[in-house]
Amino acid sequence: MNQDVAPLPGSHYDGLSFEDRMATVEFRVAARPHITVDSDVCRSCTTKACVHACPAQLFVPTSDGGVLFNYEQCFECGTCYMVCNTEGALTWSYPEGGHGVVFRRS
Amino acid sequence: MAESADVVVAGAGPAGAAAALVAARAGLRVVLVERGPFPGSKNMYGGVIYPRVLDTLLPRWWEEVPVQRWVTRRATMVMTGTKALTVEFRGEDWDAPPYNGATAYRADFDSWLAGKAADAGAELVCSTTVTGLLRDGTGRVTGVRTDRPDGDIRASLVIAGDGVNSFLAKEAGLYEDWSVTHFTVGVKEVLALPREVLEDRFNLTGDEGLDIEILGGTQGIPGGGFLYTNLDTIAVGVVLSLAGLRDSGKRPEDIIAALKDHPAIAPLVRGGELKEYSAHTIPEGGMDGMPHLAADGMLVAGDAAHLCLASGIWLEGVNFAIGSGALAGETAIEAIGSGDTSAAALSGYRRRLENSFVLANHRKLRGAHKLILGKRAQTVYPELACGIAQRVFTVTDPQPKAGLRRWVHDERKRGGVRLRDIVKDGWVGWRTFG
Amino acid sequence: MGVPRYIAAALKWVDLRPEVDPLAGTVRHDTRTSGLSLADAAALEWALRLGESWQLPVAAITAGPPEARAVLRDAAGFGPTRLVHVAADRDAPSDAIARALAPLLAGAAVVCCGDYSADRGSGSVPAFLAHHLQAAQALGLTSLAPEHPGSLVAQRRLDGGRRERLQVSAPAVISVEPGAAQLRRAPLSGLLAAGRAAVETAAADQAPEYGSRVHLLRTTSYRPRPKVLAPPRDQLPRARLLALTGALSERMPPRVVRAAPEQAADQLIGYLTDNGYLG
Ligand SMILES: Cc1cc2nc3c(=O)[nH]c(=O)nc-3n(C[C@H](O)[C@H](O)[C@H](O)COP(=O)(O)OP(=O)(O)OC[C@H]3O[C@@H](n4cnc5c(N)ncnc54)[C@H](O)[C@@H]3O)c2cc1C
Ligand code: SF4
Ligand code: SF4
Repeated sequence: MNQDVAPLPGSHYDGLSFEDRMATVEFRVAARPHITVDSDVCRSCTTKACVHACPAQLFVPTSDGGVLFNYEQCFECGTCYMVCNTEGALTWSYPEGGHGVVFRRS
Repeated sequence: MAESADVVVAGAGPAGAAAALVAARAGLRVVLVERGPFPGSKNMYGGVIYPRVLDTLLPRWWEEVPVQRWVTRRATMVMTGTKALTVEFRGEDWDAPPYNGATAYRADFDSWLAGKAADAGAELVCSTTVTGLLRDGTGRVTGVRTDRPDGDIRASLVIAGDGVNSFLAKEAGLYEDWSVTHFTVGVKEVLALPREVLEDRFNLTGDEGLDIEILGGTQGIPGGGFLYTNLDTIAVGVVLSLAGLRDSGKRPEDIIAALKDHPAIAPLVRGGELKEYSAHTIPEGGMDGMPHLAADGMLVAGDAAHLCLASGIWLEGVNFAIGSGALAGETAIEAIGSGDTSAAALSGYRRRLENSFVLANHRKLRGAHKLILGKRAQTVYPELACGIAQRVFTVTDPQPKAGLRRWVHDERKRGGVRLRDIVKDGWVGWRTFG
Repeated sequence: MGVPRYIAAALKWVDLRPEVDPLAGTVRHDTRTSGLSLADAAALEWALRLGESWQLPVAAITAGPPEARAVLRDAAGFGPTRLVHVAADRDAPSDAIARALAPLLAGAAVVCCGDYSADRGSGSVPAFLAHHLQAAQALGLTSLAPEHPGSLVAQRRLDGGRRERLQVSAPAVISVEPGAAQLRRAPLSGLLAAGRAAVETAAADQAPEYGSRVHLLRTTSYRPRPKVLAPPRDQLPRARLLALTGALSERMPPRVVRAAPEQAADQLIGYLTDNGYLG
């Protein structure tokens, strides 16, 4: 089968914001962050790979060249520490047992 | 005061649950520790389990395993910007026991399998994270620490089934060359469709299911895509090389969005309501990224041991996790029976893996990920295949058809594909997959 | 009432993430997302603290379907002396729950409850319970301080940012807000023992109904709120119109009812009624 058809009108329309996307996932937020970012170290980072690679969009660049991080809606996937080239920028562990992301349909 | 057990298993994923099941059946005292509130709550994957590995472990498993649909059709779609070529295979007897594969949610499947281990006598402790290893003066592993008050558990043997980020294998120093190039990340969307619409759209009846693996739909980032049918949802997602994603500057959800907008996929996902978005990393280095599998007092199974095949056109890991977990369980019985759980005494584990489908398949497919994630397989061949297919299917009347040989030649020229490369990749591919 | 013999935590098993079908308004539950609400967890924590400070044993009790025993297993990790389950419907009204619990809580010094459950509860179970037990009630507490056994000082919010301090004497039923305490983590040994702990099943002999002049006649099903959708992104007005109306696109095939007109009408009305559109 060789499909080469124009998309039907309306097929692009799902009107879903990133917040709505993340709201489909359950997070049992722990009191203590399981990942911490040293923004001072990040200031010297040229790639800022975490910013676009984190599937949960949890890294936000700041005007002073650092990054702001929020652990609450984290998938605990590991992407950030794997793409980060800079020693000492991230500490990464799992949240306290029973907390963090809960998948039900994945 | 520390608790004690014969075997403590970290992680109640498929690897950990299978290990606990086998060891508990032999009468060992097994504690199975899971950090999620229930097994499967932390786990996401593409969506298809190939459960034949359960035949010996849980005979007639198909009568109770919680599945969404039995996969009766498998398709591979090769796509370029606007075109797609699909090769579909329908398994003649895949819709009857013992079946070939099934779609399932991990929350259901992992809970079920861990429940089997608990039925066999393993003590399942959820909501508890293993935070490190206990070791004696010689460095041998003697148990684990957890994040519970008085949370140490001493054990003759620790089995690490703690998945792709395995902190335990790292702490034990089992990864010799850890590299980001050994990993991919998968992101997916689960979209709800009314069951009638879904069955109509994919031409399915009853509990039949279709899975589609996609090559070339990842915006030039090495990887692949997938689309699986559940009962009243579909799972659509992409698997991306982490190094590729890092260097691309692209966002994972945008890559899924582009895949969903592709003319070959858009009609399949249209109207689906997002039910769950998820992400997880995958060890894809194959044999190259594999850690040492045993230390004094410890074995590693499943993703923690990089026993996963997920190079674009197929996604398998749950079966290898169950297989390796079960063999780790057998090794535990033997070693604890003989009173020696040193690394040397645990070497039977590797031998067992070598003799089973687990390492046999990994050996065979060694290097497959390089081929599949390489530039030619990712972009050049999809162009070539789609181009040829288009010519085959285009009616050129009144011009006579040029013929296949001519088409292949023209498309090859157009895409700048060197015959030498095709032959080379074909040779590698034939040796790998043949 | 005799000498107080124990502290009780009355815990509700509740789905913390129920799913409401946006079309039909039906609610789907999942045992895996069900458990203690934060308020009930705070109540359990206070039961444990009161037990420690007054050196009294702690009992955990729940009224609900058989799956509700899950909250007792959670509580068992902390080593309460008794775990009691009373059968009750998931959606039983507050007074029915209170009447099922009351006969089992007669000897309790303090019964600790969450202030209201996450599933649109009204917070009235503790009040009914206090009535049936003829105990003092102090509801919606934000903090507690135990004094000598049988006495505690508690605080709760009033409107306008005011606070109210109360001195409460046993026997009493209290309810606490989620922020009143954070439930401690059960020790590993407790968790392992919890798997083996025995749960008593109490017969549901209800406390006598009290002469109410309000009677529940009927509860209609949920009516989901309309969903706000972002406007379509397309440039062309026609495309936007198509996207908004869903014209020319595939949609859910209608269910075709083949029946005599009267039966068809009945089915139609039945469907609308079931789904909360008629009422
Ligand atoms: C996007 C994607 C698509 C995939 N598609 C497929 C597919 O279609 N078919 C297929 O067969 N395979 C697929 N796989 C691979 C498959 O998911 C894995 O190979 C498989 O889950 C490995 O099982 P495991 O038990 O080794 O690890 P996991 O399933 O990761 O289980 C590890 C468990 O350990 C727990 N854990 C981790 N650390 C700790 C700790 N410190 N303390 C306590 N508990 C801990 C985790 O919560 C988890 O439950 C896919 C993977 C991904 C990411
Ligand atoms: S976390 Fe790593 S990748 Fe991200 S900005 Fe900091 S140094 Fe760079
Ligand atoms: S672990 Fe994954 S989801 Fe969490 S911050 Fe890192 S990249 Fe983002």
